[in-house]
Amino acid sequence: MTKFLATLLATSAAVAVMSASAIAAEMPKKIGYVTNYATHEWYQNVIKGMQDRAQQLGIELEVRDANLDVNKQVSAAEDFMSRGVDVLIITPVNEEGVVPLVRRAKEEGLPLVLEGNPVKGMTTMVAICDYDTGYHAGVEAGKYAKGHLGGVAKVMNVGLPLLSATVLRSNGFMDGLKTEIPDATMVHDLDGGGNPDRALEISAAALAQNSDINIIYGINDSSSQGGLQAWKASGRSQDGLLVVGTGGEGLGFINMMNTEPSYQIEAAMFPEKVGFTAIDAAVKLFNDEEVPQHIVSPTTPMIGSDGWKQYYSVDGTTRTINWDAVNAVQPAEQCMKTAADL
Amino acid sequence: MSEITQPAKSGPVAGRLANNSQIVLLALLVVLCIGISLSAAQFYSVENVIAILRQCSLVLIVGAGMTMLLIAGEVDLSVGASLAFSGCVAMDVTNKTGSVFLGALAGILFGGLVGLFNGLVVTRLKVNSLIATIATMMILQGGVFLYTREAVQNKHQQPAFTDISTGYLGPIPLPVIIAAAVFACAYVALRYTTLGRYIYAVGANAKAARLSGRRPEQLKLLVFVVTGLLAGLTGLILASLMNTGQPTAGRGFELTVIAAVILGGTSLLGGRGTLLGTLLGVLILKVIDNGIIILRWDQNLQMIVPGVVIVLATYLDLVRRRADAR
Amino acid sequence: MHADATIDEPAVATIDPAMEMTGIGKRFPGVLALENVGLTLEPGKVHALMGENGAGKSTLIKILAGVYQKDAGAIRIGGVETDLRSPRDALRQGIKVVFQEIALISEFTVAENIFIEEYPVNGVGSISWKTIRRDAAALFERIGFNVDPAAKVGDLPVSQQQMVEIARALAHEARIVVMDEPTSSLTPNEVALLFGVIRRLASLGIAVVYVSHKLDEIFEIADTVTVLRDGRRISTKPVGEHTHDSLIQDMIGRRIENLFPRSRGVARDDVVVKVEGLSTDSKLKDVSFEARAGEVLGFFGLMGAGRTELAKAIVGYDPIKTGRITIAGQPLSPHNTRTGVSLGIGLLSEDRKTEGLMLELPVLQNASLASLEQFARAGFVDEKREKSAVQAFVDRFRIKTPGLGQQIKNLSGGNQQKVLLARWLMRGLKVIVVDEPTRGIDVGAKSEIFALIDQLAAQGLAVIMMTSEMPELLGLSDRIAVMAEGRITATMSRDDATQEKILNAAIA
Repeated sequence: MTKFLATLLATSAAVAVMSASAIAAEMPKKIGYVTNYATHEWYQNVIKGMQDRAQQLGIELEVRDANLDVNKQVSAAEDFMSRGVDVLIITPVNEEGVVPLVRRAKEEGLPLVLEGNPVKGMTTMVAICDYDTGYHAGVEAGKYAKGHLGGVAKVMNVGLPLLSATVLRSNGFMDGLKTEIPDATMVHDLDGGGNPDRALEISAAALAQNSDINIIYGINDSSSQGGLQAWKASGRSQDGLLVVGTGGEGLGFINMMNTEPSYQIEAAMFPEKVGFTAIDAAVKLFNDEEVPQHIVSPTTPMIGSDGWKQYYSVDGTTRTINWDAVNAVQPAEQCMKTAADL
Repeated sequence: MSEITQPAKSGPVAGRLANNSQIVLLALLVVLCIGISLSAAQFYSVENVIAILRQCSLVLIVGAGMTMLLIAGEVDLSVGASLAFSGCVAMDVTNKTGSVFLGALAGILFGGLVGLFNGLVVTRLKVNSLIATIATMMILQGGVFLYTREAVQNKHQQPAFTDISTGYLGPIPLPVIIAAAVFACAYVALRYTTLGRYIYAVGANAKAARLSGRRPEQLKLLVFVVTGLLAGLTGLILASLMNTGQPTAGRGFELTVIAAVILGGTSLLGGRGTLLGTLLGVLILKVIDNGIIILRWDQNLQMIVPGVVIVLATYLDLVRRRADAR
Repeated sequence: MHADATIDEPAVATIDPAMEMTGIGKRFPGVLALENVGLTLEPGKVHALMGENGAGKSTLIKILAGVYQKDAGAIRIGGVETDLRSPRDALRQGIKVVFQEIALISEFTVAENIFIEEYPVNGVGSISWKTIRRDAAALFERIGFNVDPAAKVGDLPVSQQQMVEIARALAHEARIVVMDEPTSSLTPNEVALLFGVIRRLASLGIAVVYVSHKLDEIFEIADTVTVLRDGRRISTKPVGEHTHDSLIQDMIGRRIENLFPRSRGVARDDVVVKVEGLSTDSKLKDVSFEARAGEVLGFFGLMGAGRTELAKAIVGYDPIKTGRITIAGQPLSPHNTRTGVSLGIGLLSEDRKTEGLMLELPVLQNASLASLEQFARAGFVDEKREKSAVQAFVDRFRIKTPGLGQQIKNLSGGNQQKVLLARWLMRGLKVIVVDEPTRGIDVGAKSEIFALIDQLAAQGLAVIMMTSEMPELLGLSDRIAVMAEGRITATMSRDDATQEKILNAAIA
């Protein structure tokens, strides 16, 4: 409790400082953002956050979608440059492909913020810490297991070994969990492909093989959902099960937290906040302020069936972020572990 | 002389099974099952068998249609995208009407409409079905995001909807019952009816069929629609299983289906194939898929092993055919 | 260019055989394909190889081509015993086989195809296209071809493609050229051109092996004839010692008393088919005719005269532009085979493989395709009835098949044709249109098909026969219609018809 109060105090102070500095500074007129895959819920929410923040600050924001095509991304960025945006934000389709863009932006003195992934020669990047996100959710899962699962933690990781980000999440989750329950084990480490039907299929097989699994961790909401649905399809009761999801994109996890008794923890990544932070970083760069190479966008576990209500409100099929609560979440100075540590 | 292409062959079922290439597949399946269960006893647990059968059901339902389509000399690569879209439609309509029946109907009919579209493009515009259905796949994969930006959540919370995939009839899961019914209908149609005969005829030689007074285009159109309806049905079951309408579901599903059908001995050139082969193909692929998890092998093998099996089985079939021909 | 040497050399005046095969045997599992077969080829001579399908001709040719390996016997080339281990090996030894299926790359030019085995290269090691074109042109000039070396092979007519294949043989210093039924898809003019080339090859001292079914051609081009039957050599004689009958007898092992049996009486008067003013976009111009029950109406025409187009239009397969077709008084809706079939008109297509047979399917399904509904109740096929009906036809037509479940692709051409005839007769037709009914069929089986056609007319069907074979036309028809460029240019009764009259009308 005291920790919570402290956080609250610290964050409100931080917010005050941030807004003060933002208002005092000069504002860029126009920011261009080239996303890599606007169809994905994550990026839609990132864009939403950017738009919210840009509107608050009176900045014009234009968004282009590379649709997973590096060439498209480069030409969109070059178009922005030639049309004279004040700051450019890019979510790289791949790291190699945008290196020339980074170089060109430097040559032309155009401030460039990267989102999500680092690129050689960049000034700054806004991203969450994948390991930390998993870690904190792991700690909470450990506490829950102590209270509800008799202190036993046998984890089925519905993972995605292809990507370093998702591996970091899984590692973080296990490490965090072990701080509470040292003999926690990962019983099954699965490749669910990050999509729900595949996750469901392989989870069904893994559950059949290991009947003692009592925690399902998903590296994204689709994965945790696939794991949970496999559990339900096998006819098991959700008593004695804990499901932990990651991401907090869209309405899927909210629906699951509302309706599934085992879905108790969601490691929220606040994509909107990533967008918000990216705009703030853009403003700082525009004003030649000193910024760290990695600006961390905060994440936090949401706990219990009402855990999400603190940060989001839902109306029909749209969810709205509660900026005050999310801005109050204090980001780490730097990540506990990054892809370089793998 | 034995050929799997003889729907007209007489004799007991066992005899028919025994003297053709399906014996190779059956042997393969048995070896797989024994091998896996020796290393991991959980393979034969009720839970696992049901999990396998449930997965098989999804592939088999579409596989039944795909088998007919390949026999008729066409192919449908849009089934994966179609079932994702159908699942979203089913969930959405159930949300909006509160009726599982209407939702299910809408999902299945949506799949049927996609099949109709494919069929019309192929038979009227004379676009090669491979190209036409890849195009449809792209249209659907993009289109589903115009329909819903994100997964369609279950807001109706009607148990009947989830029962479609997780319910039981006696000891048997509902999807397995549905798949068995679809399989039986397709089997009877293909083997005992004039319709089935004409499907083979059209695939074997469409011109000859036309000269004999058939209408190959209409027949193909029909099979496209049937395949589409079955994709819609599978989409419904998948949506029920995932408890959401997932626009990204079913990626690569079409390839699994086609792999199973081809493994079962159906020719891509038309006129040749059986549903029993498809059934065995589905079982083999899904047992491999399951076995790799059960054995805790590297999951990348889930792609590699089926690939190897398909090459091997096709080669063995070729060897057997050559031996027969002499 | 490698071919220069061969072509410039004068014909060697020697009687040493170019190649000698003795005691050749070849066994496939269960079948003795060749047994103790000998073949001697002399330079500058055309040696015809004859025999029915399955007699062993293709096996022998494939051994010559290096595709198959002999099990017994010896091959001597230029007096030296040798083995032909692969097609490449055979080619190196100077043996070039021109198979029926043309083995050219249709996207390449003529010149590129001719030198494909070994392209000449220039100083920097890249292919010298200029040399290739020049050499090809020179080669063509020597052998008297009129083909553009720069033309794409796919754009050439089949006859010219065949010429290109032959030219390719010469580019390889071939001493022996084998031609497997080279005229099966050529027009008379093209055949004449081909024969000119063959004579030219012979005059250059090349030994030519000529495989064909067509007796007339053998008598025209061959010096010596070897007949194979059932894997054995029956005879090798100078062509002058043969007559048509003696050749046929050697090939089928018995005498055919009458190739065109006639059991039917006089045609009846009722008109079953009436075609008036039929024109199509593809070919036909204002075609009108009638066909009566019980008669065979023969249509003759050279390649491209429109016979096949007419056949396909009157059964409702192809769309028509203007005109009217009535079957037994009922109008046939054009471009709709369904009404055609239900009115009782069916087509036995000229192209068995692509328009008739379902190669992968068994005899049963092939036979019952047009009449399946008769054996069905509520959409379900009564296989028992179906089988007994098909079996009845198999017996009646003496179709040689191990069983109804046999895939039709394993049957001989003659038996396949009989199954396709059965397909229509099981339905009970009023009119049957037969387009080149004996194309690619053995002499022995031909006479059976002729007898069947005669029987059909005797049973009261109107038979409309499209043919480019003069003997068939004259032997079988009651009346003859001649086509040229999509029109009917003459109609005559069989008694009035002469070869000369018919050809004059066909060229008109």
